[in-house]
Amino acid sequence: MSSTIIFLNILLPILYSCTFSIYTYDFWKGGKRFTNSKRVFLFLTLLLHLVYLLYRTVFFNHPPITNVFEIFTILAFSISFSYFILELVTDIRGTGPFIIIISIIFQIISSLFIKETPIVKDILRSNLLGIHVFSALVGYSGITVSAVYGFLYLTLYKDIKLNKFGLIFNRLPNLEVLETLSYYSAVIGFILLTCAIIIGIIWLPKAFPKIGFTDPKLIGTFTVWILYGIGILSKTFGKWRGKKVVFFSIIGFVIAILSTMFTNFLSTSFHSFY
Amino acid sequence: MNILAISINHRTAPIELREALHLSSDEIKSLIHHAKEELFSEGLIISTCNRTELYGIPKDQKLDVLDIQNFIFNFKNNNDVKPENFQTFASTEAIRHLFRLISGIDSLLIGDNQIYHQVKEGFQTSEEMQFAGVLMKRIFDAATKMGKRAISETEISEGAVTVSYAAVQLIEKIFSNLSKKTALIIGAGESGELAAKHLKDRGIGRLVITNRTLERAERIARALDSETIFFDTFKEKLHEFDIILSATSSDNLILTKDDIKKAMKNRNYSSMVLMDISIPRDIDPAAREIDYVFYHDIDSLNIIVEQNLSKRKFEVPRVEKIINEEIDAFISWYNSLEVAPTIKDLRDHFESIRADEVGKNKNRFSSEDQEKVEIITKRIINKILHQPTVELKKINELGTSPEETAVKVSILRDIFGINDKHEEQKE
Repeated sequence: MSSTIIFLNILLPILYSCTFSIYTYDFWKGGKRFTNSKRVFLFLTLLLHLVYLLYRTVFFNHPPITNVFEIFTILAFSISFSYFILELVTDIRGTGPFIIIISIIFQIISSLFIKETPIVKDILRSNLLGIHVFSALVGYSGITVSAVYGFLYLTLYKDIKLNKFGLIFNRLPNLEVLETLSYYSAVIGFILLTCAIIIGIIWLPKAFPKIGFTDPKLIGTFTVWILYGIGILSKTFGKWRGKKVVFFSIIGFVIAILSTMFTNFLSTSFHSFY
Repeated sequence: MNILAISINHRTAPIELREALHLSSDEIKSLIHHAKEELFSEGLIISTCNRTELYGIPKDQKLDVLDIQNFIFNFKNNNDVKPENFQTFASTEAIRHLFRLISGIDSLLIGDNQIYHQVKEGFQTSEEMQFAGVLMKRIFDAATKMGKRAISETEISEGAVTVSYAAVQLIEKIFSNLSKKTALIIGAGESGELAAKHLKDRGIGRLVITNRTLERAERIARALDSETIFFDTFKEKLHEFDIILSATSSDNLILTKDDIKKAMKNRNYSSMVLMDISIPRDIDPAAREIDYVFYHDIDSLNIIVEQNLSKRKFEVPRVEKIINEEIDAFISWYNSLEVAPTIKDLRDHFESIRADEVGKNKNRFSSEDQEKVEIITKRIINKILHQPTVELKKINELGTSPEETAVKVSILRDIFGINDKHEEQKE
């Protein structure tokens, strides 16, 4: 393996940890000392991560989607990238630690276990598969970010109800903002997941003529998709709000995680290419 | 520096005594008039609900703080206040006290920035009455700079420290845009009015006030450009309000859990904030059990107030540090007003202008002439500065008061811009 790849593979968890530390320090202290520098640090981390992903693609001559640990590093990138965009658009800078920590977990696992795939199946070189995987991963990132904001909403909701005016109360944005952030992240996640499913439906019969629609991955993805669909429609038409929508988002995220783990580590699915 | 100050405040005297010496704006003007005649060449008088303070530069070097206390006793014709009800300050300590005052760390509510505006008003009155000369103006500039630094460089004024403002802070943790929200204020007493003002200041979309005596509600509504609703019928429209703030003196509950339950059902369980800042309470505390109802009473709001006050107390040493820096800067300016350093500064100033101009035009002269130009220009400078130097020395020898000398020297320094240069060099 290239020494650059090895170096970046070690460097990335360190960079994510440093970014996380700066965001956490700022959250803890509540000062304005690192308000801008923490954003610059996150940007540099993401930039290096992008370089790493592109370099891997060029060096191994295939996109980094050939094993679960390559998928994990893309997930780490897309979760923090989604947060970065959200921070730029909303200028809400206090929620970083809760999202960047998820990137750290995915990146550490990836950096520890990632290996070069010796033989890459032809199917993994398909462009349609590339778009399918990319939209699915960004969709899952949206769902993850939505779940984190949902969790923060519930924590703040409980704290305000119980007169706990601690760090969470002082540092987090207000409940309406958290609900909106969770909702928009879920909408973006849902749209991209829908794209991934549509591409999958077009591409699947061509790639696997004998595919069965009882595949655990397909069932898991559809369940998540339906849950988010119900939640988003109910919120959009004003029937549900607050805790109810947020619960749906968190349940959807848990099912998505369980389904991914089950498909990749426990069951035999046509989605397990490696 | 001979500046004296006396202060009767919340730490030195109970409210009855503070009230006895409280000065209205007309009284302040009248007192300044007398003070100018009898005591001070320049000065400042501040009177708020928590304190009355007099600062001044004595005309007579023998004047002491007891004379100032007697002066105000006579003015207010009061015999109840005793000298021990005063804090007294002289020289740098008087300035330090003023700096502590303007930064809010001497206030009953630490960090209260209302005092900043009150001190500013005091200085404006002094200026209007020609009671603020060179020294007081300089003290005022230093004090306002100090006050601004305390607010911008520390968190001494951060967070709500009154119950009604804490209620608004809490509301802003639930709703993101108050301009789209509707609030109902029950009760038109002092607390209700204050909360209504805070909500209006934060841009509440619609503000409705109700009170048993409608006239009082209408008075506040007129002042705040808001609406009123009859007390007997407001419960029918409870569901229209996102925020309900109750501050009445009623002995019984005004809103029961069932009233809130009904309202929540009618508003499809859209979040509702209930703030009960009255004692005894107006809203049934059991209402907090309803989903999306955020019920808070005076105890929970006091938690926020206490937290913010502790945070402000934590900031006091940082403010003290800024005060020390600003006092050092002020003393260094004041010391520069002595005669000997001023003569030196004046000579240096002229010499630097001379050298600069000669340097710029050097090439226009032959090497033999350059030497002559140096000698001639130096002679001109010496002649120009001869008379001012003699006059400055005279001021020193005639034994005028240090304050009078400082004023004269300060004018001279201002005319030639020596102060600015001094400060530029320091920076």
